[in-house]
Amino acid sequence: MNLPLLSACFAAMSVTFYVLLDGFDLGVGALLLLEPHEKSRDHMIDSITPTWDGNETWLIMTGVTLLAAFPIAYGILLPALYIPVIVMLLALGLRGVSFEFRSQMKRFRRRWDFIFGVGSIVAACMQGLILGALLQGVSVEGIAFSGSVFDCFRPFPLLCAVCVLAGYVVLGGCWLHFKTAALLQEFTVRTLRIALPVFIATFSATAVISFSIQPGIGAVWQMHFILLTTVSGTMLVAALILFGSINRRPDVRPFAAGVVMIAAGIVGLAILVFPNIVPFRVSLWDASASRLSQIFLLTGAVIVTPVVLAYSFFAYWVFRGKTPEKGWDG
Amino acid sequence: MNLNPATLTRVQFAFTVSFHIIFPTMSIGLAMFLAVIEGLWLKTRDGLYLEIYRFWLNIFAMGFGVGVVTGIVLSFEFGLGFAKFAQLAGPAIGPMIALEVLTSFFLEAGFLGIMLFGMHRVGPKLHFFATCMVALGTLLSASWILSANSWMQTPDGVAVRNGRLIVVNWWHVLNNPTWLVRLPHMLSAAYLTASFLVAGVGARYLLEGKHLAFAKKSVALGTAFAAVLIAGQVFIGDILYGTMLKHQPSKMQAAEGFWGKESPSPAPYYWVIVPDQKEQRNRFALGIPYLGSIWLTHSLHGRVEGLKNTPPDRQPIMGMVFYGFRIMYGVAILMFSVATASLWLRWKRKLFTSRWFLRCLVVMTPSGIVATLGGWYLAETGRQPWVIFGLLRTTDAVSPVPAGTLLATLIAFICIYAFVMAAFLIFVARIIRRGPESAPAQAEASGSLKNAFRPQVLDRASADAALGR
Repeated sequence: MNLPLLSACFAAMSVTFYVLLDGFDLGVGALLLLEPHEKSRDHMIDSITPTWDGNETWLIMTGVTLLAAFPIAYGILLPALYIPVIVMLLALGLRGVSFEFRSQMKRFRRRWDFIFGVGSIVAACMQGLILGALLQGVSVEGIAFSGSVFDCFRPFPLLCAVCVLAGYVVLGGCWLHFKTAALLQEFTVRTLRIALPVFIATFSATAVISFSIQPGIGAVWQMHFILLTTVSGTMLVAALILFGSINRRPDVRPFAAGVVMIAAGIVGLAILVFPNIVPFRVSLWDASASRLSQIFLLTGAVIVTPVVLAYSFFAYWVFRGKTPEKGWDG
Repeated sequence: MNLNPATLTRVQFAFTVSFHIIFPTMSIGLAMFLAVIEGLWLKTRDGLYLEIYRFWLNIFAMGFGVGVVTGIVLSFEFGLGFAKFAQLAGPAIGPMIALEVLTSFFLEAGFLGIMLFGMHRVGPKLHFFATCMVALGTLLSASWILSANSWMQTPDGVAVRNGRLIVVNWWHVLNNPTWLVRLPHMLSAAYLTASFLVAGVGARYLLEGKHLAFAKKSVALGTAFAAVLIAGQVFIGDILYGTMLKHQPSKMQAAEGFWGKESPSPAPYYWVIVPDQKEQRNRFALGIPYLGSIWLTHSLHGRVEGLKNTPPDRQPIMGMVFYGFRIMYGVAILMFSVATASLWLRWKRKLFTSRWFLRCLVVMTPSGIVATLGGWYLAETGRQPWVIFGLLRTTDAVSPVPAGTLLATLIAFICIYAFVMAAFLIFVARIIRRGPESAPAQAEASGSLKNAFRPQVLDRASADAALGR
């Protein structure tokens, strides 16, 4: 059996869960800065409070899967992405503590909300930078990173940062459309009508420019033309459905369409990168850990992941329906 | 201190990991305490337990949050700072940490939401189940991480081929020579930490004459747990001392502060030393005569090994190891004394009225955290100069990141962590000052609470939402 490939699938699953779940979390956080009414902000945060921690755990899962199954790639990529990763972690940290602090310190709530919003935006942008840096390719010599830690601050990764932020804002807007009540209706509709076109525009620009940044991308398009066209088509159709279902029932439809849209984007990226784990540089098999390590990881993953998914779903189920306007303690 | 990348990377890791461990220590302890308290409440239906539960739940939630976000940093820092360590050790510690995430982090995250915000949505039994799952999650997490760290202390079950590490026997990797002694040591450290936190806050209220019922219960529970745990901890600590002496003699040689091949006979027990690593001697040493021989060799004239038994290029820095150990051990002696006094006062029925004792408890509130930090400094600085003992030197493991970037991120970490710590302390101080009675949703605790627990409340919430549209 091809164990590194299975481990890579598990890593891909983790990163997909992370982007979809923490994506809407971060999007809601970013939108806090645009909402002037404290009561509405409370409502927005209440909609994500009970489940954010689990969403963020998929990020750790991704990182640690990389460490366990592809230690060579982990050791190349993290030094290469040193600055965006550290800034992202600090931003996520500030954002994480604001969840608790804002509810406990009513007097400073405005300031904590500001930190929360900025933390969310910075974390989203850093993830975009990371994506951009991966696509443009990191310098590798042997099994070590050999470039400069500032390589990721070129125009292309910066464009990716805007794109990812816009994508997360779309997901966040969809989540609010789904989970919050009349209080935020108008705000949500306006957000989605602006953010979605921005996302599609930046995404298209990124896709076009990527050809000139990374020659490997053109080659993959030639090889998998039909597959990649199908994926792009799916994204576009999902985006159209999303746009058409704003401010209509059922409330969940924009979110479902948004999830399909972003998931299709991730599938597209996976096709571009495969079979490498350090994109366009080191393959899955060259970076992989020994057989027994893969077996241990995969056995654990196969047994435990279904249980994790079951009670994560249960946690969402407990807090199903519209988020109460008075909050969870009310 | 010279600003070379290796030093900066190590300082950054030391800072972030020291900051982090404070919070899991509290969370592991408080999660178990909360599970016990909610269990007692379900059994007795005494509202006092619920009051205690709600009070500590807020502090637990806050500390847990800080622990999670500072923990995420660590899982990436292996690669950010120590790329070669990650590439070599990844096949062994990676799967362990991955299993930690799967079995513990998701468990905690999944049930924490219900524990914190689900009171109105699930019944009391299911809520208790959620609390237990969170406590179990913290326990599993400690177990995996201690296994991974113990493997770095006493690596086993692996072979190195072509520069890459290969796991030969997973059982030997997991159940390496020190894991099963270090795990109970850390767990009871965490439970002791929670016990002294609870007792300390109760003692403060007793001294102020406030919240008396709550305070008495806290002092009674906290000191009772502490007395049982410290007795066990002394025992476990003694076993661990022997285990480490066998597997990492250099650590224990440094920990006692002696340089020579053999200590003088009778050996004193040093409390203050000014070591000179270059000259391989102490410039100054102050200790209690005979006590070293008695404690360490269980005889009046026994000798102890000194650090010169280890070649200089394999020695840890004595000062850090020695003081890490002395801080932990000193605090443990204080804990033991306080716990013994509590038993005596309980027997005399003066536990709640001896003001000197209550003042001691207040001072001892953070003692568990201090002792745990000291213990981890002993463990981690004593392993140096190795990151994986005997296999990989720390200086050979660092990532290719320039010193300027490292310095900038170190400063960023210090500023942001200081800010978070300040906010956390202000927050805890406010909760303690406010006291249990005005804790959120306290009004419901007076008998009507069972109604609030019923899931029908859910229907009211969705009705509200439906009307809102």
